[in-house]
Amino acid sequence: MLRREVVVTGLGLLSPLGDEADAVHEALLAGEIGVKPIELFDPSLLTTKNGGEIRPFEAERYLGERNLRPLDRTSRLLISVAGRALEDSGWDEARAGGDRRELSLAVGTTYCSMHTIGEFDRRGLKLGPNYVSPFDFANSVINAAAGQAAIWHKLTGINSTLAGGETSGLQAIAYGADLIRTGQADVVLAGGVEELCFESSIAYSRAGRLAGGEVGTEGNGRPVPFDRARDGFAPGEGAGLLVLEAAEVAEARGAKIYARIAGSGAAFAPERNGDFAAALARAIAAAWTSNGAGGGTLLCVGSGASGARELDAWEAAGIARGLEAVGAAGVPVTAIKANLGEALGASGVFQALSLIATLADGRLPGIAGLDMTDEGFPLSGVSAAAQIVTVTPGGLALATAISADGPTIALLFAAP
Amino acid sequence: MVSIAVTGLGLATPIGLGHETVWPGLLAGRSGFRTVALFDTSRHGTHLGAEVQDFDPAAWVRRLPVPSMSRASHLAIAAARMALADAGIDPEQITPEAAERFGVTMGTTSGEPLEIERLSDLMVGDRLDELGPELAGRYPCHLIAAHVASELRFAGPNQMIPTACAAGNYAIAFGVEALLAGRADLMLAGGADSFSRMTYTGFGKLGAIAPDLVRPFAKNRKGMIPGEGSGVLVLERTESALSRGARIYAEIAGYGLTCDAHHMTAAHPDGDGPARAMERALQTGGLSADDVSYVSAHGTGTPTNDKLETLAVHRVFGRGRKVPISSIKSMIGHTMGAASAIEAAVCALAIHEGWIPPTMNYDEPDPECDLDCVPNQARQMRVDVAMNNAYAFGGNNASVIFRRPHAQA
Repeated sequence: MLRREVVVTGLGLLSPLGDEADAVHEALLAGEIGVKPIELFDPSLLTTKNGGEIRPFEAERYLGERNLRPLDRTSRLLISVAGRALEDSGWDEARAGGDRRELSLAVGTTYCSMHTIGEFDRRGLKLGPNYVSPFDFANSVINAAAGQAAIWHKLTGINSTLAGGETSGLQAIAYGADLIRTGQADVVLAGGVEELCFESSIAYSRAGRLAGGEVGTEGNGRPVPFDRARDGFAPGEGAGLLVLEAAEVAEARGAKIYARIAGSGAAFAPERNGDFAAALARAIAAAWTSNGAGGGTLLCVGSGASGARELDAWEAAGIARGLEAVGAAGVPVTAIKANLGEALGASGVFQALSLIATLADGRLPGIAGLDMTDEGFPLSGVSAAAQIVTVTPGGLALATAISADGPTIALLFAAP
Repeated sequence: MVSIAVTGLGLATPIGLGHETVWPGLLAGRSGFRTVALFDTSRHGTHLGAEVQDFDPAAWVRRLPVPSMSRASHLAIAAARMALADAGIDPEQITPEAAERFGVTMGTTSGEPLEIERLSDLMVGDRLDELGPELAGRYPCHLIAAHVASELRFAGPNQMIPTACAAGNYAIAFGVEALLAGRADLMLAGGADSFSRMTYTGFGKLGAIAPDLVRPFAKNRKGMIPGEGSGVLVLERTESALSRGARIYAEIAGYGLTCDAHHMTAAHPDGDGPARAMERALQTGGLSADDVSYVSAHGTGTPTNDKLETLAVHRVFGRGRKVPISSIKSMIGHTMGAASAIEAAVCALAIHEGWIPPTMNYDEPDPECDLDCVPNQARQMRVDVAMNNAYAFGGNNASVIFRRPHAQA
């Protein structure tokens, strides 16, 4: 069967720490925190008043003067990063020059826009069914942002949306790479998007998953990955896309190559308890196997840990088991959600972009605010400070994520 | 060329549960339309819906607490259990090692809309203090696939694909890739959606809901009728299905996914995206249009869809040949994210049983839909290759091709 190499040839992101991959990397290395008081909506009913909000988000800066009215925040975020990714990869120029190749899109998201969906329904409740907005209805499907991005950028290939909570973004990258490997697509914009909104935030707050303890108490808790005093995550938002491409296509057009997608693995934890660690370890082993029996040395890990009380512990245990199984125990491990918040579909792409930057310059961000880990914490490679990794050609970086609802995923990036 | 076997079928539809009930119902032209029971339609312009009747979640959701999840998950678990049983697999007998190689992928349009509707009720009624911890554990759409896997203890890949009304086909395509890449040995692939006032209100606002009957391809067609349900297929690599002696309904030969990139809710006027999806599916299956015995249409019954689908079918099949094409949405309505999964099961059954279901309520022909739409009467015929079409908001198009198992060809 056809098995093609998959490379990353372009990047686009919008995060609470900026919209340039290099600048966001520097900010993460410097330990900057993009989690700040929420202004997008009134957070007074939430346990934490802080979130990773993109502020200001001026879509016009990215999208120009065209009519943006039919687009909600989620679509605007995704369309913006798609434009930047197309530009960065050189596909903008290639298409302007007459290259008619179909481009595909794989978007990880959990809600698309829970706010739009809620607005649509509430308007119908308040005013009656004849007064709902057709724009809102079009945007109420969970693939709305992917559809809008396809329209805006004329992406006529495969258009898929993948939902899996905290694992969504990495799921989309893994799927995009599989589509290229098996020849279903040549070029896939893969990544994710999530908006910060009241509806999803109140859901997590009432479920006791946000940082900050009791509503009405002072302080915003401690959304610090792996920290012993962690008490939940801070909600976040953003968007990011990688341009994934068959290596032969990228080479033929002389594209710059950021990294190679070396492998991926996914597994599920049916009991949603300690079996998370076993599931993630299996996902890591599967990613390792799909890399053709381990070409390259594993250099570092970018974890999806967020400050969640139990999930972080399980993720640490899963990473530790996975690393041991592939002979890489003790490699440096980071987690960037103290800086950026838990942005679900976008988070996996933030992790991917951070690791790709590390593979380029050998600097791995620290875990901002990490003071002391749990007793018996199984990962020796964590640090509050940035770490140096010696990058060899083909050296590997591992991204991991666990969804509280069961899915786990592991993705391997290789230095060019 | 792809070789993935379909070895089990599970269906929860407005005309019944299980293919043993649904298939004869479809061949007999049974209607699943009733006055909407879930909510008050007195302020809507239409009143019919296609809800799943007499469905007791507790009969299917056995390991997880029934109230811990919402209706689409209930329907999905029911269809998943039926599909597994149909494939001759007892979930209680699956070893933990085997379960690590069993995955779930499901499509949906709205996920669990009843949960956000409840949030709307609380917000509009100024009763937000009544919101507890349940929303995060019941609303996000990926919970549908997660609940199926947790209920059955399937520990392999788990993927929700919310690509609206083509989502069932997208999930089947994902399942095919997972099997071909060796990421799993068995995938439950399908779709699920629950009836919802949001969906009903939205399609009503678009003027897309028929007041009385769904008449796909007929001249006086007036729209679709929203429905709900779930369809789940058991997919395995053909060699592993053969080695365990499984009955193979059909094999998946190929698929094609494309995007119109034209408009969120209106299809491209020349049917280009759907045509490319059909052509890609044929190409990946190593087949030509002449090989196709039957097409399961998207066939919603809206004026636009059926006209454009006809254009696309003509582009792919040529006007000289009239391939039989029918729409079961004339009987069970538009079950949203479940629709193409249920229709995929219909394609597998058409091959296995040698019958194709009719397009019901077909009265006056429409010159713009000059198809052999198998009007009003099921047709007995050998089906070697069946194509399943689905289109969606976002301009998503998906065609999946099923063929007679090679061993029986």
